[in-house]
Amino acid sequence: MSPLSRFTSRWRSALRNLFARSRVQRELDADVRTYADLLTDEKVRAGMDPRDARRAALVELGGIERVKDEVREIQSGAVLETTARDVRYAVRTLVRRPGFTVVAVIALALGIGATTAIFSVVNGVLLRPLPYREPDQLVVILHEGRNPVAPANYLDWKQQSSLFSSFGAAEYWSGTMTGDVPERVQGLKVTSDVLAMTGINPLIGRSFRPEDDAPTGDRPVVLSWGFWQRRFAGSRDVLGKSLLVDGSSYTIVGVMPRGFDFPMFWATGVQVWTPLTLGERASSRRSQSLRLFARLRPGASVAAAQSQMSAITGNLEKAFPGTNPAVVVAPLDTMVVGDVRTALLVLLGAVAFVLLIACANVAHMQLARASARHREMSVRLALGASRTRLLRQLLTESVVLSLVGGALGIVLAKAGLRTLVALAGSSLPRAETIGLDPAVLAFTTVVSLMTGLAFGLLPAVRVSRSEMAEALRDGARGSTEGAGRSRVRSILVASEIALALVLLAGAGLAMRSFAALRAIDPGFDPHGVLSAVVSVYGTAEAPPGRREAFYTSALERVRQLPGVESASLVNHLPIAGDVWGLQFIIEGRPRPEPAQVPRATFRVVYPGYFRAMRLPILRGRDVTEMDRVGAPRVVIVNDFFARRHWPNEDAIGKRVSFNPAADTGTWFTVVGVVKNDVRSDWTAPPEEEVFLPYAQEREYLEGNGGHVGYMTLVIRASCSAVKACNAASLAPALRDAVGSVNRSVPVTDIQTMDDVIAGANAGPRFTLVLLATFAVVALVLAAVGIYGVISYAVSRRTHEIGVRVALGASPATVVRLVIAQGMRVVAVGVVIGVAGSLVASRLMTKLVYGVSVTDPLTYAGVAALLAAVALVASYIPARRATRIDPLVAMRTD
Amino acid sequence: MTDRQTNLLQGTLDLLILKSLALGELHGLGVARRVEQITRGTFQVKPGSLFPALYRMEEAGWLASSWGASENNRRAKFYKLTAAGRRQLDAETTEWKRIAVAIGFALQAT
Repeated sequence: MSPLSRFTSRWRSALRNLFARSRVQRELDADVRTYADLLTDEKVRAGMDPRDARRAALVELGGIERVKDEVREIQSGAVLETTARDVRYAVRTLVRRPGFTVVAVIALALGIGATTAIFSVVNGVLLRPLPYREPDQLVVILHEGRNPVAPANYLDWKQQSSLFSSFGAAEYWSGTMTGDVPERVQGLKVTSDVLAMTGINPLIGRSFRPEDDAPTGDRPVVLSWGFWQRRFAGSRDVLGKSLLVDGSSYTIVGVMPRGFDFPMFWATGVQVWTPLTLGERASSRRSQSLRLFARLRPGASVAAAQSQMSAITGNLEKAFPGTNPAVVVAPLDTMVVGDVRTALLVLLGAVAFVLLIACANVAHMQLARASARHREMSVRLALGASRTRLLRQLLTESVVLSLVGGALGIVLAKAGLRTLVALAGSSLPRAETIGLDPAVLAFTTVVSLMTGLAFGLLPAVRVSRSEMAEALRDGARGSTEGAGRSRVRSILVASEIALALVLLAGAGLAMRSFAALRAIDPGFDPHGVLSAVVSVYGTAEAPPGRREAFYTSALERVRQLPGVESASLVNHLPIAGDVWGLQFIIEGRPRPEPAQVPRATFRVVYPGYFRAMRLPILRGRDVTEMDRVGAPRVVIVNDFFARRHWPNEDAIGKRVSFNPAADTGTWFTVVGVVKNDVRSDWTAPPEEEVFLPYAQEREYLEGNGGHVGYMTLVIRASCSAVKACNAASLAPALRDAVGSVNRSVPVTDIQTMDDVIAGANAGPRFTLVLLATFAVVALVLAAVGIYGVISYAVSRRTHEIGVRVALGASPATVVRLVIAQGMRVVAVGVVIGVAGSLVASRLMTKLVYGVSVTDPLTYAGVAALLAAVALVASYIPARRATRIDPLVAMRTD
Repeated sequence: MTDRQTNLLQGTLDLLILKSLALGELHGLGVARRVEQITRGTFQVKPGSLFPALYRMEEAGWLASSWGASENNRRAKFYKLTAAGRRQLDAETTEWKRIAVAIGFALQAT
């Protein structure tokens, strides 16, 4: 018989078996019964009494049902058939024990739900390739892996390198779009290769062409999908229309598709792209403002590109000393994911631990139940069920349980994800790609199945192996349970304790680290400060003579608002704003080598900035209205600057120049020293910082560029004992106050300083909240585990405890006896857990700040916490044990 | 046929059933009795082995079945060989003979 026809014959049978099930089964039944009848007839013919003959025939047959069962086993489709029967049986069993089922399903749903949620984040952020053509080939080229590059370097690199198929530059651009409603737009200036490099075509129109790099006439602009929808209602005839940004006209040539974002790690949420024209800047080696993007030629590696670029840079440094910091070629996806990778992997590990604990919990609940079901199983074995059948059926029960848990887990994950993404805030790149997609659902299904097998296998094997005779004896006597099974349960609980401890230690470290972050003194008092960007660029207030007057009168109106204690202006807000540097030299000191000229962060401020920020002036004075163009140039330095450069002298009265190249530079006199404040990175140690009065800065007063066309308002809300500082509520009044001076000047980026700082710490907070949540879940599950095991042990030892009480054991002795049993297990778990955490916490080295990952206090703390919870969890059943009435206990035999 | 024999003679049962049906259709008990008869009582096929084998072979397309009346007028399921079943019987017979000869040689070897 050919394999094919045999296969088709089997298939027909399988279909018949499945779909004409009742007919097939009826026939089988009749067939076997006829056999019995014929056998009986035979025996009667041989002279037996009909009733004896019948009985003998049935004995010989070995049971009609059993024979039918054996046939069913071999029938095609039997696996499905049996599984369906097992599932129905499992559901019935689970429904009959709602207490167990509900607790198990909740534990599993928590475990699987948390795993699903974290996995969908990992999937969206780490696993999915970036949405560009061959994203592996895209690299980012920056100085020292993060600093922008000067135009001349870009051009030299582009010309001299050979491993890239395209090489482009981008520069941040933001401007005021004038029109009915003035608006600040976030933009990016890009060379024509950049958008093309992504391999993503515009939705409508075109992106840039090489000729756009040196445009004639109106500059072209490409819109983002979101901006197009919002400003032009998605109309297709925007192409060719013009856009007025900062007073210049741009022609719309294309719209990028929905969701397009590049390069994701920087300048996210770009609304408009326009060509980058270097013009006379092309020869500059100092103004470092470009971020470079390149696509590797097929076959070229990042390492090869890196060594080539380093070599080129080495040569450039010989030709142009002091202008070539180390170059780093980094894959784009590494830049996008950044530090989040470690955090996410730690969280994924943590969540796997939660799931393992849930498994262990359900496993020993199953074990406890298994003992109760011992008799059921023994009876079924005695009636001829095979062990494999029992094993399969018990596993089916576990898998049904875990799939129900998984389904509920998906619901939990869906609800939790939104919170998760909101919590992560800007610390999570590609947040929009996070969701429960088919990959995640497939993952969850597999995890649920594996979970079911994991917690079901051990109890199932134990039960199906149970010896009939022993089971019947053991079950009947209700004696102290066999040592073997109790050891398995103890091991399960000890592992739960160990896993929970690892999680608690992780959460403890995250908490200490977060506390250390919170304890950082930003120098100023952020609480009660509201900030807003006011941009005159491209408006009627932009001309050189008008800017200062506008800012001054806007500031006047804001200061008069009720609830405003003080207000001032600064060019860049600490943390949220840009950080610009200036090279400086100190009067009377030898001139340093070009590469060694020190740099200071500089801010341009209005009088009253320090008061509004509550950044204490340690010595000297604030900037005043008298510090104007024409008056002697003054500067205020931070404490770090003063101590570093005039360690044993008073900085006040000393002079610095911000023009290290020229011999006849302008000297600035230090008139004040302020406390160190944070600049952009919350945890960075202090560095030199200088503050210059706005009214003396010609670039700001008259300069012609978007970068000097805005200032940031900082407002200190007045707080009293009865009224809490509510800086955010000042926002509408602030808008009106600025608008009353000139309605066309946009007020944007209104945010409280508290929010700014919260945003800066969003990453650590995300890690902390999740680790803490998982640790709490783990703690609860472990407590339930201990409670369950001890309660069960007590119930199994009722008889023994009854005897002890009868012999005069005091309640205290009984409590000690029971708790000691629990605490032995806990102690083992804690020891293993501490060892495990010491290993696991190494992964957290990059995630913690201000605390060692082996911090003894944290470990001692979480071990004590866990032990205390375990103590309580075993005390409850211990109390119950003291109430055992010896008479009742002994009668339960 | 005892359990031990079942293990030892996995394929043998199929061959015996095929052979027992070679002369004509039989019901379940008929097959058992026929096997007993042609093996001179050496093999007694128990229902627990017989029925799974019959159903398996039917699903494989070697046997066909129909309901009819037994000798003492009971409604019974009768099994008969299909063309595929005959081919299978031939194939298994050849195979069995080959093995029997081989085993015979093996046991005679010194």
